[in-house]
Amino acid sequence: MTGDSAAGSTPNSISIQSAVKIYGSGADQHVALNGVDVTIERGQFVSIIGPSGCGKSTLLRMIAGLEEPDAGDVSVFGVTPERACVAKMIGLVPQTPALLPWLNVLKNVSMPAKINSAADRRRQRIDGHLQKAKPDMRDLLTKAGLGDAFNKLPAQLSGGMQQRTAIVRAFGVQPDVLLMDEPFSALDEFTREAIQGQLLDIWDEQNTTVVFVTHSVSEAVRLSDKVLVMSARPGRITAEVDITLPRPRSEAMLKTADFHHFEDIIRDHLQTSWQQNALPSVA
Amino acid sequence: MVLMNPTESAAVVDAPRAEQPLPVKKVGKLSPRLAFIKPSFWLPVVVLLVALGFLWNFVAKNNPYLLPPLSDVWGALAHNPSYYVSNAWSTLQVALIGLAIGFVAAYLIAILVSELPLAKRAIMPLAVVLNVTPLVAIAPALVIAFGFGPQPKLIVTALICFFPILINVSTGLRSVPSQVLQVFTTLHASRLEMLFHVRMPTALPYLFTALRIVFPLSIIGAVVAELSAPGAAEGLGTTISIAFSNSQLAVVYAAIFCLAVLGSALLAIITAIERRALHWHESMLDNKS
Ligand SMILES: Nc1ncnc2c1ncn2[C@@H]1O[C@H](COP(=O)(O)OP(=O)(O)OP(=O)(O)O)[C@@H](O)[C@H]1O
Ligand SMILES: [Mg+2]
Repeated sequence: MTGDSAAGSTPNSISIQSAVKIYGSGADQHVALNGVDVTIERGQFVSIIGPSGCGKSTLLRMIAGLEEPDAGDVSVFGVTPERACVAKMIGLVPQTPALLPWLNVLKNVSMPAKINSAADRRRQRIDGHLQKAKPDMRDLLTKAGLGDAFNKLPAQLSGGMQQRTAIVRAFGVQPDVLLMDEPFSALDEFTREAIQGQLLDIWDEQNTTVVFVTHSVSEAVRLSDKVLVMSARPGRITAEVDITLPRPRSEAMLKTADFHHFEDIIRDHLQTSWQQNALPSVA
Repeated sequence: MVLMNPTESAAVVDAPRAEQPLPVKKVGKLSPRLAFIKPSFWLPVVVLLVALGFLWNFVAKNNPYLLPPLSDVWGALAHNPSYYVSNAWSTLQVALIGLAIGFVAAYLIAILVSELPLAKRAIMPLAVVLNVTPLVAIAPALVIAFGFGPQPKLIVTALICFFPILINVSTGLRSVPSQVLQVFTTLHASRLEMLFHVRMPTALPYLFTALRIVFPLSIIGAVVAELSAPGAAEGLGTTISIAFSNSQLAVVYAAIFCLAVLGSALLAIITAIERRALHWHESMLDNKS
């Protein structure tokens, strides 16, 4: 973790190497992550799934530079997470929409462009960074189904509309990677599937890398190129499943046998990791 | 890029419903703005006021040294209205200027305290001590120090307004939800950007809570300072102390009536401003429906 670029890093992937995160100290010490190794190629859509408390959010926060690893290395396209933030390479969609309630939808999604305006120049100096045109926020909002909500305040929106606004806001800075922490967990099944479709459309068009935390197996399978299965105590990655289903993935695909096949694989992995978890506390 | 989704196709099923005329909201209802026209709105308070007026006059008739008859109070006001207006104006000026000084000082210190933990540890204990000290008692000392000019009045008013603003604003600046903080941290927002774009707007509801406390308090501060500087020439507090030493009970109550009107007017103004400035806030959206 010396210098600007982390060890073993390349400009074309996000890499986490033997990352350890420990909360607390002494008797209260809690190992949230132990020896996590992940490589995410540029342009991939990767989901992280696992039981509650296994460290999914911690891992995401670590990529975002909001959490320092106690050991190991994190590199975001060849630079440290801190440098990635300075260059506005990271878009974050937290579990709650986290909009600014005094700004309307259009102003909310335009806010990141006003912040840290020196980032654009810094970004150009980073190897491998894809230079993209500034997106038209009205256009993006319309694609996300918010065409007639430009002037609405967050409090006047439904939960799904707020979450879509948060996603558009994160896409707005043209980040190299979008980090999403269970963004749809508060939505009903139908809204969820609809927004998944919109997310895939925008992702496809913007050519962004996405790291997506979820509790839903079908969500992980539908969206991802790769699913990382985690288990707890200590938090670690127990399986990597490549989802080779063709794209674009419509809602009709959710009912196919191929789709169920991948769901079953992931469910099996989750079951194993859940049992491994449960055993020590039973004994 | 077909964005058709189940929620949209579900709308097709619902389509016939749209042909029915939509119920028009507020038919036969007054908008909240005009609600005060309705008798059910103003009648209770008017009835209570009339009843209290009768009770007052009854007491005044039997104990003229306890309360002056309302007609005398009205007489005092009507006899020389410009006297009360000019004194009220003078008190209002002291109150508002003192409030402005207290506000600027408290807001700046609130920013300092919320940005620097060290400043917080240094300043907050002092501020709390200041708050529990009856500032009213400082007034005479200040009069001795500064004489009968406006300074002691402004200082007392500013001090009284200082603490509620400091506490509320410094809490407000620190009450940004953690997930909002995370979003702006990943954008590497500077402290200044954070302050102006996120923290200060977040603190607005807290600020208005303080202002609703502090606007009426500023009148109290001004009057107390005037009462402790009996040689001063102006202000409703001075009016009261002069009338008191002349046993003009009606004038005392006429001045008190003016103070009540001033305080209510300030509260109404700050509430109106709040309604505009916080139109986005949940508390305001609630009121509308
Ligand atoms: N700031 C913190 N201080 C102390 N412990 C923490 C902190 N953040 C997380 N932890 C602990 O680390 C572990 C992993 O937390 P994390 O939030 O990453 O889990 P998660 O997989 O996101 O769970 P969920 O699915 O419920 O969101 C938990 O046991 C939690 O108690
Ligand atoms: Mg989590």
